[in-house]
Amino acid sequence: MTRTEFMQGNTACAEGALAAGCRFFGGYPITPSTEIAEHMALRLPKMGGVFIQMEDEIASIAAVIGASWTGAMAMTATSGPGFSLMMENIGYAVMTETPCVIVNVQRGGPSTGQPTLSAQGDMLQCRFGSHGDYSVIALSPASVQEMFDLTVEAFNLAERFRSPVFLMADEIIGHMRERVIIPDHVPSNQRKPYEPGSLPFRAGEDLVPGFPAFGKGYGVHVTGLTHDERGYPCATSPKLHEDLVKRLVGKVEGARGSITSCDILNPDAEVVFVSYGAPSRTVQQVLHDHPDDNIGHLRLKMVWPFAEMVLARFTNAEAFIVPEQNLGQIAREIERHTDKDVVTVPKLGGDLHTPGELYAIVENLK
Amino acid sequence: MSEEDWLRQDRLPHIFCAGCGNGTVINCTLSAVEQIGWKRQETVFVSGIGCSSRAPGYISTDSLHTTHGRALAFATGIKLANPQLNIVVFTGDGDLAAIGGNHFIHACRRNIDLTVVCLNNMIYGMTGGQGSPTTPMGGLSTTTPYGSGEPAFDLCGLATAAGANYVARWTSYHVRELTRAILTGLENPGFSFIESLVQCPTNYGRRNRFKQVADQIEYFKSHTILVEKAARMREKGEMIPPEMILAGEFVRRNRPALGVRP
Amino acid sequence: MRLQIDERRCKGCNLCTLVCPYRIFKPGKRANRRGIVVPELDRPERCANCRLRHLYGRTLCGNCQMICPDQAISWKEDEEPVPKKVAIEY
Repeated sequence: MTRTEFMQGNTACAEGALAAGCRFFGGYPITPSTEIAEHMALRLPKMGGVFIQMEDEIASIAAVIGASWTGAMAMTATSGPGFSLMMENIGYAVMTETPCVIVNVQRGGPSTGQPTLSAQGDMLQCRFGSHGDYSVIALSPASVQEMFDLTVEAFNLAERFRSPVFLMADEIIGHMRERVIIPDHVPSNQRKPYEPGSLPFRAGEDLVPGFPAFGKGYGVHVTGLTHDERGYPCATSPKLHEDLVKRLVGKVEGARGSITSCDILNPDAEVVFVSYGAPSRTVQQVLHDHPDDNIGHLRLKMVWPFAEMVLARFTNAEAFIVPEQNLGQIAREIERHTDKDVVTVPKLGGDLHTPGELYAIVENLK
Repeated sequence: MSEEDWLRQDRLPHIFCAGCGNGTVINCTLSAVEQIGWKRQETVFVSGIGCSSRAPGYISTDSLHTTHGRALAFATGIKLANPQLNIVVFTGDGDLAAIGGNHFIHACRRNIDLTVVCLNNMIYGMTGGQGSPTTPMGGLSTTTPYGSGEPAFDLCGLATAAGANYVARWTSYHVRELTRAILTGLENPGFSFIESLVQCPTNYGRRNRFKQVADQIEYFKSHTILVEKAARMREKGEMIPPEMILAGEFVRRNRPALGVRP
Repeated sequence: MRLQIDERRCKGCNLCTLVCPYRIFKPGKRANRRGIVVPELDRPERCANCRLRHLYGRTLCGNCQMICPDQAISWKEDEEPVPKKVAIEY
C-alpha cells in the first residue's frame, strides 16, 4: 500500500534502495551520510539482506563490488573524503562492468573541509575522479522525495548499464525532512542474464554484455586489466584496449539522449536557470516570487552523462544562469555546449543562494 | 575430476618466470581443493595485484582479480552476499601486508570464513624487485640497494594476534605439508591463513646469493624449523638462529566466525 | 603408466631433478625450439607411480608433479598390451 511519511533525506534514500531490491550494504561512517548506513543496518537484516560496516571506504566499495558479482543489488554511501578513497575501485567497477550504487552526500571540501555543511564540489570528481577514460551516470536529487525516487532510478540504471551509478546528493537534501510518498511497487530493471556458452564480455548492440554471476558454474574470470571478450587479461594489445574503453564509454554516452532526466519550466524564456540538487530549491523560489518575468528553469536530475541536447529546448535563451555550491563545475560543462552567455553563480561555505541574490542577477541581465 | 580439470588449459603456460614457486603453490592449493571435494561452480578464487594474484586467472572456476591489496575486502563482500560459495584468496606479501594490511587484520578479526594462501616471495616481483614488508633485514632489492634496514613482518604472528582461526606456514619445498595445511584451512570454519614462502629466482634469488633456482629451495629445506621443535628449544633455553624459518601450524581454534555456510 | 614432461609448458627450472627419489629427472643438454632446456628422463620405468599406481589405486609419490611450477609433469596411461600368440615348439 502506498504510504506517506515524514522523513529525512538520508532515510528516504535508504528506503528507496530497499524498495528497489538492494540487499547488500557495505559502508563506513562519515558525516553527513551516516544515517543511510544506520537505517540500512536497522532494516537490511530483517529483510534477509546483509549490512556490514567495513574497515574503511576502500573496503566498503570493494565489498559492494564483490557482493554484486554474486548477483545481489548492492550499494554504499559516503561523503567527500570517503568518496576520494573509493576512486580506484570505482574505476575497477567501470572496467569490470559491475552494477552498484554509490551515494555521495556532499560536504564542503577540499580535505576534511566542512563535515556538517553542504556543498556540490564533487560533481567533476564523480565524472573524472578515477584514472583513465570512462563515463558514468550521476543523479542529483533536489528533494527528499527525489532521494527516494532517484535511488530507485540509480539501481535500475546500474542494472541496465552494468555500471556504477552515483547519487550525488548534498548535505542539505540529505538532512532535510519532508513528506515522502512511498509507493507499494517501484519500477525495477534486472541485469540482463548471461547466455551460457557465449563469451562473457561480448556485448550486443546495446554494448552491455549479459551478467555471468558467480556461483552458477560459468567459470568467468573478472579482472581490472584490459581483457578480451573471454575476460582474459591482455594488456598489450592497443586495438583491444581501444575497443574496450570505447565500448565502456559508448554504452553510457550513446544512451544519454534517451536516459536523461530533467525538469523544464518556461522553455520560451530568455533567461534560464540551470540547477541541480539543493540550489534548485532557491531557483524554484525565484520563479514562484516572479511569475511574470518568464524566467526559464532547467533542473537536471541526471547530471552525468551530460545531455547537451536539452539546452536547445530553450529556443529563445540568451543566457544560462548556473547557481552551484561550488566554483562552477557544471557551468563549465554548459559553456562547452552553448554559444550563449553562461553566468556562473558560485556559493561556497555551506549556505544556499538566497532568492534575492539570484533575482538580482536576472535583473542585471535585462 | 583431477587437478588438471581445475586449470584453464587454454591459458597455460602461465606468465610466471622459470623456477617461480607460485606454480607449485597453485598445485598444492588445487590438490587440497580436489581432496576436500568442492564443486567448481561453488568455488571462487579471489586475488589482488602482483605475481601471486595472477593465479586465479589460470583456475577454471569463477575468479575475481581485483585491485592492489583489496582482495580480502572483495572476498568479504562475496562471502557475505552468498555464504554458499567457498572462497580461496591468493595474495602476495606486498599485497597483503603492505597496501592491504588493514583489510588483513580486520578479516582476521571478523574471522570471516575464507581461506587465504599468501605466496610470500619477500619481494615485489611484478614491478621488478622492490623491497617488501617481508624482505628480511639486510635483504637486497632495487629499493634497498644497501640491504633492508627495516625488520620484516611476521605474518603468521600477525594473523594469530588478530584472531584468525587457523594459521600455518610452509614453503614451496614442503609440497606435502603445504597441501595438508591448505586442506586443513579449507576444512576449518572461519579465517584460515596459510603462508607459503616461495622462491623468486628472478628478482629475489639472484640478488641474494641464490644464483640458481635450486639454491633457494635448498635454503628453504635446510633453514626450516618446526614450530614444535622451536618451542622445545626455547624451553631448554636454546637460541633459535634468527634466519631460521618457523614452519608448521601456529594456531587452530574455534572462535566465532562470520559467513559460515548455514 | 608412463611419466612424461609436457614440453609446451616446461620452462626448464630443473626443480624436478631435486625432488625425485629415483633421480629419474636429469638436467637436459639441448635447448628445444622455444629455447628451453627441458630435463631428460633417465629410465622412467623406475618411477614408483608408473609401476604401482594401478595396484594402489591412487597417485604415489608424485613429488615431481607437485613441485613442478609449470604443471608440465604428468603420467599417461599405457596403451593396452595386445596379447600376442606365440607358437611354442616342442
